[in-house]
Amino acid sequence: MGRLFIQMTRVKKKFWAASALMVMGGLLLLPIFLSVTAVAGGGGAPAGGPPADVVAAQKAGEEGEPEKIEMGRDVYYKTEGPAIGDGAPVTADNETFYPRYNFESRVLLWVANQQHLYYGSFVLAVPIFCMCIEFAGMVSKDKAMAKKYDQLAYDFIKISLTAYSLTAILGGILIFTFLTLYPAFFGYLSSIFRPVMHIYALTFVAESATLYIYYYGWDKMREGVLKWVHLSMSVILNVIGTVLMFLANSWIAFMMSPAGVDEQGRYLGNIWHVIHTALWNPLNVHRILGNMAFGGGVVAAYAAYRFLSSKTDEERAHYDWMGYIAMSLGVAFLIPLPFAGYWLMREVYAYRQQMGITLMGGLLAWLFIIQATMIGILFLTTNYYLWQALGRMTGGERFQRYIKYLVFILVVGLLVFITPHTIVMTPAELKAMGGQQHPVLGNYGVMSAKNGGINAIIMTTVLSFIWYQRGNRVPTVSWAKFGNIFMGCFFVIAQLNNVWLACYGYFIPANVRIGLSVPQVAGTLSCLLLMTPLNLAMLKNGRQLGPIRWGQIPPRSQYAIIMLATAFTWMMGLMGYIRSSVRLFWHVNEVMRDNSPWAYTHTIGFAANVISFNVLFFWISIMFVFWLGTLGAKKIPVPAPAGQPVPTPQSATGH
Amino acid sequence: MTWLKLVEGYMPMQMISELAVCILVFSIINYSLKRAGMGLPKFWAGIFVWCFVNLFYLKYRIYPPIPFSVRAIYGTVSACGIFMWVSGSQQEWEEFKRPIINVLDANTGMTKFLRTALLILLPIGLWGFAYNSFLPSFDEPIELRTVHPAPPATTKVHGKTYVLQTAANPYRINPEGKYDQAYSNAHIVSQDMGRLMKDVKNPEDNPWDPNAKGYIKHVREGGEIFFQNCHFCHGDNLNGRGLWAFAFNPIPANFTDAGTIAQLQETFVFWRVAKGGIGLPGEGFPWASVMPPWEQHLTVDEIWKVIMFEYWHTGYYPRTWE
Repeated sequence: MGRLFIQMTRVKKKFWAASALMVMGGLLLLPIFLSVTAVAGGGGAPAGGPPADVVAAQKAGEEGEPEKIEMGRDVYYKTEGPAIGDGAPVTADNETFYPRYNFESRVLLWVANQQHLYYGSFVLAVPIFCMCIEFAGMVSKDKAMAKKYDQLAYDFIKISLTAYSLTAILGGILIFTFLTLYPAFFGYLSSIFRPVMHIYALTFVAESATLYIYYYGWDKMREGVLKWVHLSMSVILNVIGTVLMFLANSWIAFMMSPAGVDEQGRYLGNIWHVIHTALWNPLNVHRILGNMAFGGGVVAAYAAYRFLSSKTDEERAHYDWMGYIAMSLGVAFLIPLPFAGYWLMREVYAYRQQMGITLMGGLLAWLFIIQATMIGILFLTTNYYLWQALGRMTGGERFQRYIKYLVFILVVGLLVFITPHTIVMTPAELKAMGGQQHPVLGNYGVMSAKNGGINAIIMTTVLSFIWYQRGNRVPTVSWAKFGNIFMGCFFVIAQLNNVWLACYGYFIPANVRIGLSVPQVAGTLSCLLLMTPLNLAMLKNGRQLGPIRWGQIPPRSQYAIIMLATAFTWMMGLMGYIRSSVRLFWHVNEVMRDNSPWAYTHTIGFAANVISFNVLFFWISIMFVFWLGTLGAKKIPVPAPAGQPVPTPQSATGH
Repeated sequence: MTWLKLVEGYMPMQMISELAVCILVFSIINYSLKRAGMGLPKFWAGIFVWCFVNLFYLKYRIYPPIPFSVRAIYGTVSACGIFMWVSGSQQEWEEFKRPIINVLDANTGMTKFLRTALLILLPIGLWGFAYNSFLPSFDEPIELRTVHPAPPATTKVHGKTYVLQTAANPYRINPEGKYDQAYSNAHIVSQDMGRLMKDVKNPEDNPWDPNAKGYIKHVREGGEIFFQNCHFCHGDNLNGRGLWAFAFNPIPANFTDAGTIAQLQETFVFWRVAKGGIGLPGEGFPWASVMPPWEQHLTVDEIWKVIMFEYWHTGYYPRTWE
């Protein structure tokens, strides 16, 4: 009878937990549904129908005197629609359109925007990591490991919480900067995105509520079904976060590749067209991956900083492990990032050829060389970290002797990848070279070779990772010899295929050459997606040569992590600048012209200085956030009264 | 020693292969010496490899000379690579930094002397570097020339507006007289190093055949226009080394290079030929081109034909998006 009662209580608990989850999820997603309904009714019809005010005008026309509705043609979709409003304002260089301080307004906006974006990316990425780590902890059979994972996820979200407040503050600063320095442009943008901006605000409320429940409910929902409810909260949190980012992306995508408006910038009544512009989805994918890689880098840098300042071996071991997990997550998203970038550029070229050429062959081409250098730094640093990490494993040294060969492939791949097409040279050098094109460098400077270079680098990184997995283990499966030969051949063939296709690309039409990137990428991804699981299968029940000595890693590895995170930050700043400046003298490409005194492209040196300032500012402020995080952890233990036992902490995770 | 020559067209892979062989040979020699107890210390091995690659191979082996800016990039990357190699494991890192630590510790007479010499020479070197950088320079300023500036969306030639994204060469046609990129691609010269015509007996492949029709006939007409107007600068082989080429700096574009017309849409070339150097946009700074605006001398048809000849002769295909 008692057992039955307990079982019923458990079922009841499960039922209530599931109900609570559904109610919470429903309530949190309610603003989105309400807003979508509002958009359908008031802001504009998603299916292309005219909005309410136009319908009312049409009705009035039908009932009374006929009122002429002017129709406009969508600049991108080429569909007809009722033109609403006055269109994009034609600005002039004066205080009315561009109120200013005695300073370049564009740089002020640039800094505000970049800082908001850094923090926004961070707080969107970290909950995704938390979700993964919490899940890993829940499914782990090793209790001690499960506890460690849970603590790690909690540490992550704790850091993110302070950063979240800062994100909101920076968002406010950004809006005020827009309103005060670019009122005409912001007025126009908000008139087009009126309903979307409301949805954004409501979604932000939902995001905040979910985040706080997720954080403050950690202890309350730490066991049984409630733990699953807690994990589900993180799923909801991430869904909302992703929607938020997509909405914000729609604004910048509209500025680059406007749609849903006519040539004068008049809204044509279809909000979906305004959101779903040519570059929206490629930007969405690229930004998700970029945020994740960036978030992983920042958390890893935090762990590296704590490692370097640790006083005890236990602390060093914990932060070494934390840095490894964060970096692995970051790098997992870094690997597909170049492919997402490739897709984005392809769509840019498809949208406007001149935009693509300005980016990659013209005015901004050198910034892309700097970007390629940063990507190279990221991959080289990752490899370096993995090689250092081999040193903390018994048996890892057997791979270290081959590092020099990997270095050669990485360096050659990087040299090809960063060779500029537009070379900086003196007229004397130009003359000595006998023309603008160099017979060697000219070949490295084009896409075919560069694809080969980056794929060689990524494949080598995958190989380093496989070596790392094998560091302290030896496969004992019966087919180990065959597996090793197969893996070796697979890597060699994939590299040869990559080099061959890179050379072959010079002898075929450009459209076929672009298609060649598919087998190149397929080779690289096959190395990652087939060889890594194969390696794990071979290592299953393998012979262990010794434990991983967490914490016994050279400090160089931690500096490498810090460099990795800094390179991420710098590259994000750089790419943000490139993406924005490709519009040249347009606020909204080909629709609203920028007539401010700052409608010119900065020199590379100036841009690099502002980016560096942004990076420095971010790292100083995030150090402050980290410091705040440590303040909460430093509780002074209350001495127990004499003669009384010390109470056991209630929480399993100790927070 | 002709086998030592760098062969045009193969140079990119030749350079990588030569570097790989050099480093492999160095590794084998050093390994053998190590076995004999005479191996080069890691510190000197690292310095030797860097100096060999940057101060010898890239500077003297590769011709035409590589501009300093690119060598600086290569030097930095190879220095990073060497650092990664010498510090890949703790043991190697200890070995690498041992000579540095020895000099800093100065426990022997030799190291004491070296440390003193370094303490004197380093500040003098830095002072010299600072002094040189403050000296007024009479060198020509460095130029960052945009080789392929972004084209406009449309261009107006002889009163007609062409949308560069969608316009097509009207002479790129198949025997049925329809626009056919694949057909013309199949009838360009061989893309092997010799760049020869595929089948001189076949009128579809030989523009000089009196029976040639359609696409290949237009190629011949384009060739005639080229040799009447363009080859003085762009050269008989379209490699930018014409009779007058070296009167200009930079010399005219080399169409046989993979980085010029092979990277561009045909309409881009149409726009550049029609508007010439004077029609370069702001992005084309420092507008270092003396090419005349050919729209003042050629008809639209002639421009399309000459472009087609350039692609046919070089064996490259114009860029297409789909």
